Amino acid sequence: MTRKNHAMFPDATHDENAQQDFVRSLMSHLYEEVMPGNRLLYDNQVVPKYLKEKGRPPNGRSEVRRALETEPYNQVWASLMRTSQEMMYTAVRPSIERQMPQLQQTAKKIGSALGSVKVDPDFEMPSYHTKVDIHCKPGAYHAQLDADDFLAGAEFDRTIMLYFQGVTGPLCDDIGQSLGQWVQEHYPDLNPKRILDMGCTIGHNTLPYARLFPDAQIHGIDVAAPCLQYAHHRAEALETAVHFSQQNAEHTEFEDGSFDLIVSHAMLHETSHKAGPRIIKECHRLLRPGGVVLHMDSFGMTDPYYKYLNEWNALYNNEPYMGKVVDEDFRSMFDAAGFAKEAYFEHQIPSVLMPKRDSNKSGKTLGIGYYHTIGAEKQP
Amino acid sequence: MPYLDERPTVAKGRRPYFFDDPSVDKLLSILMSVAGEVSVLRERVDTHERLAEQDKLPTTNNIETFEISDELRQQRAAERAAYLKRVLRVISDELERMKKSASPTPYPEATDLE
Repeated sequence: MTRKNHAMFPDATHDENAQQDFVRSLMSHLYEEVMPGNRLLYDNQVVPKYLKEKGRPPNGRSEVRRALETEPYNQVWASLMRTSQEMMYTAVRPSIERQMPQLQQTAKKIGSALGSVKVDPDFEMPSYHTKVDIHCKPGAYHAQLDADDFLAGAEFDRTIMLYFQGVTGPLCDDIGQSLGQWVQEHYPDLNPKRILDMGCTIGHNTLPYARLFPDAQIHGIDVAAPCLQYAHHRAEALETAVHFSQQNAEHTEFEDGSFDLIVSHAMLHETSHKAGPRIIKECHRLLRPGGVVLHMDSFGMTDPYYKYLNEWNALYNNEPYMGKVVDEDFRSMFDAAGFAKEAYFEHQIPSVLMPKRDSNKSGKTLGIGYYHTIGAEKQP
Repeated sequence: MPYLDERPTVAKGRRPYFFDDPSVDKLLSILMSVAGEVSVLRERVDTHERLAEQDKLPTTNNIETFEISDELRQQRAAERAAYLKRVLRVISDELERMKKSASPTPYPEATDLE
């Protein structure tokens, strides 16, 4: 059962809660009790077979996937994974649909005293958000029946809570908290006056920056109007001033040098191979000299098994770029965007809330409880 | 983006199937839905019993306003985990066998047995 953490958070009946809790437990079970078998298959069967037949281990995510997919154990895991994702929306959506009139009333009551939201009726949705519905969410993050329909955003507030199972905090804001705190510690003189969160969806990771940098004006952009509208109501309910606007991170309307800090939290993998370099270039344009950009995402792993898990989500959880993103040469991308060569960095930023497990001692895998983040400081 | 007349109920994109026969994926999905419904019923019955313990009738209103304490929340989560272990036992068994297969014990031939 999920607790109501702010006035806009959708409620659930006794049985809706029970149904959502079941999906949550099923997802946990698959992660903890079934998924480890894939690793065993990989270590004990796939790698030895490759060594014997080709004299080398599998060298990429697709080779691992093709080898594992023939294993009945992997098939049952994958089938249950896909089903659990679909069940999440089945368990949440009717509940939100029922509550939409109420939520719209609450939004009106809360008002817009602190921040703002600007959506663009003529917005051109990038194809990487229209070819498939990301995360198997029917209608994806942007479908709307009318101008006041923010269901896609309200639904996400409950599904993200269900997905993270509370480990990212009661407001699912651990990534924002962790990156924000890291910036405070590593750039004590940055003193950001304007902060931009790209691909902010419902602003769950945007809001911590307002608390960490109380003097800064905070902006959040996304391509999905209903998420931004809900983000605005949610931020107001949480008494936080944020300015949300519907913009494409590849080419925003902001002026050159208008931000001291630009961040994104698991956005890049929801874009594309072509959009990635354009977004990095746009960040360079938007930063003032001495400004800092950070992009946190699911990348940076070298172990082909972990790359395979990304590829699995790319192909089977409707996130087309999630596989390719692990192969990208971001250093060159930052270089081409105009950042100084030595400015580029990759860090594993420790999570504020999650317990740490350093499984990366061998240098092969990522630590648990860390957020892999790439970024740069623009030359002063 | 134009507004839609109806909210999509099915995600756009190819629906992957993982078994040689997609019917197996479908059947597994149906089974998980049924398992979910049983879990919901179970928790509802539990709420009925807890209301009875407080000398309250299991009316819809009493069920909907029933306060779930942190302790009960954790207890139900543990029960759901145990329930899923029972439902998905055949998969856990296979995992156990895989863990032990580093030093496999051969299945005894019937003729070797006393």
